[in-house]
Amino acid sequence: MLDFVQRLGRTSLDVTKGFGRAGIIFWQSLWGLPDFKSGPRLLIQQIYFVGVYSLIIILVSGILIGMVLSLQGYTVLVRFGAEGALGQFVSLTLLRELGPVVAALLFVGRAGSAITAEIGLMKTTDQLSALEMIGVDPLKRVIRPRLWAGIISMPILAQVFNMVAIYGAVAVGVYWLGVDQGSFWSNMQNSVEFYEDVMNGVIKSFAFGIVGTWIAVYQGYDAVPTSEGISKATTRTVVYSSLAVLAMDFLLTAVMFGVD
Amino acid sequence: MYSRKIELIVGGFILIGILALTFLSLQVSGLMLNSASGDTYTLSANFNNVSGLTKRAKVTIAGVNVGYVTGIKLDPMTVRATVTFAINSDVDYITTDSIAAIKTAGVLGEQYVDISVGGAPDVLENGGVIYDTQSALVLEDLVGKIMTSMTNSKE
Amino acid sequence: MSENWIEIRNMSFSHGPRVILDNMDMDIPKGKIIAIMGPSGCGKTTLLRLISSQYHPSQGSVLVNNIDLSKLDREGLFKQRQRMGMMFQTGALFTDLSVFENVAFPLRVQTNLPESMIHDLVLIKLHAVGLRGAKDLMPAELSGGMARRVALARAIINDPDLIMFDEPFAGQDPIFAGILRDLIKKINHAMGCTCIIVSHDIAETVSIADYVYVLADGRVIGHGLTDEVMNSTNEHVRQFLNGLPNGPVPFHYPAIDYREDLSLNRGES
Repeated sequence: MLDFVQRLGRTSLDVTKGFGRAGIIFWQSLWGLPDFKSGPRLLIQQIYFVGVYSLIIILVSGILIGMVLSLQGYTVLVRFGAEGALGQFVSLTLLRELGPVVAALLFVGRAGSAITAEIGLMKTTDQLSALEMIGVDPLKRVIRPRLWAGIISMPILAQVFNMVAIYGAVAVGVYWLGVDQGSFWSNMQNSVEFYEDVMNGVIKSFAFGIVGTWIAVYQGYDAVPTSEGISKATTRTVVYSSLAVLAMDFLLTAVMFGVD
Repeated sequence: MYSRKIELIVGGFILIGILALTFLSLQVSGLMLNSASGDTYTLSANFNNVSGLTKRAKVTIAGVNVGYVTGIKLDPMTVRATVTFAINSDVDYITTDSIAAIKTAGVLGEQYVDISVGGAPDVLENGGVIYDTQSALVLEDLVGKIMTSMTNSKE
Repeated sequence: MSENWIEIRNMSFSHGPRVILDNMDMDIPKGKIIAIMGPSGCGKTTLLRLISSQYHPSQGSVLVNNIDLSKLDREGLFKQRQRMGMMFQTGALFTDLSVFENVAFPLRVQTNLPESMIHDLVLIKLHAVGLRGAKDLMPAELSGGMARRVALARAIINDPDLIMFDEPFAGQDPIFAGILRDLIKKINHAMGCTCIIVSHDIAETVSIADYVYVLADGRVIGHGLTDEVMNSTNEHVRQFLNGLPNGPVPFHYPAIDYREDLSLNRGES
């Protein structure tokens, strides 16, 4: 019993310490003067690795999810003779929930794990120490561009996801199942509010970008510098960020669309 | 090695993001760029009941989209709903005796305003008011009426 | 006083409950090649990190050029570190930069030199390690020995006062080890900098070192001029230098009685 209480105490201390370290890393790498002339170039390079490399998976999954949504929505709506509301159903589901969340989960799996592995590897091969020795803060040189690249890329990827998903839905709903194109679009336009739905989705994906990349860089920076440590850190990145994205999604949804 | 090619690709990536956001705001949410009033003019109409009509609902003539609802307010004097709508300026033949009706697209579809153009010689200018209106059909009322008439006929 | 570039006094370092370096005193004279030798896991690399202030001592002090680095703020520390070069065991080249950019990196960060001057300086150093022709390769395309030579060029690019070599000879073929040995000797001669070599390759290290420290279990067990140490009568030092399997450093990791472990008494119980 006493053992259990002690373990509980130690675990909570460790967790608190972890949060503290993560917070310090986040804060120090996010702000501060750019210490290096090639700051923008580093950022662009990281957007390339973090954002552009994730584009393919986002495009393919977006189209597929749009098609599935359309098909499922149609089979339900057609029973009520309300297949005209398909556009409304698909677009609201995507903009409010599925777009930001699924894009964030894909992003975590594709880019987050890569960020963790890369930073962990840099730690293992002493590259971070070498930077320290040369007089460059690794937080600024290595962590900051990746953090910002993630924060910038995530909303872009989420919006691209939404766009292709809606086209996927049009392809199935309009061209295959024969829902009227006009009512599909006009229903959609009448029910979707720009600030309420589109902008809230953008804000959500921003938040997911921050949390996902933050966890990824922290896990990489804090990884045990061995091959086993890196593989564990990569797994933790995917698990923790996925859970964090889903939990934050619930909180944000409650705040944005919840009962007034 | 990195500079130019990567910068171009990243630029393209961000453009795709902007394109997607523009698509979502214009095509999906139907956000109108607040164009100068040259493109549209404003009309209004008073309804007894607008149940379910929302801002940016479409305004049609003979089923063709000619504008959208810009505002719904309650007039404290008459206790009726004042609906304002923006009509495309090339539709300049809405006469003073036109009828504005709130209709429903399908059983569960959205509410919209349909205008039937009359035969009067004068057309409405910017700020004009359509006096002849038909309020929204409220399903509950209708069902209620049918129920009572059915019970009455039984007796 | 000014003879010693680095002075370590009563310094201890522990990681959690484990004491890695225990009450250590060490003087590193200026402009010499100093070898720090000892068996694996005796805290040699940790010592280098303490000198460069990547770790802070738990107790005691490390003075580099009469400055206690652990008391400096980040900016002051980075300023002092610009006068140090370090060659890591793995080379630690930045994988996203070419060989040329790797070597140029310290200059770009620390100075505002014009591009043409950086270009020339980098080529001079690359030429010195014999890799001028490899300047456009990426680190992934280099062999282990070439990567270390690039790392050496990067460590000396800003003509530091102190260069630290972490296991420069480990896992290298004899030809490369010989090349590197001569390079270190030449650099020490030409630039007059203090070189610290951490290694357990005795033959290579001893052949160029002026002064030798032998560590074991986090303590200095012997030090002196190279010849003195080589002829030391200390049993501990002799065991290490001659590579004897048994001696004060036991072959067996501490364990319970062998017979008991194999359960030879099983029948009786």
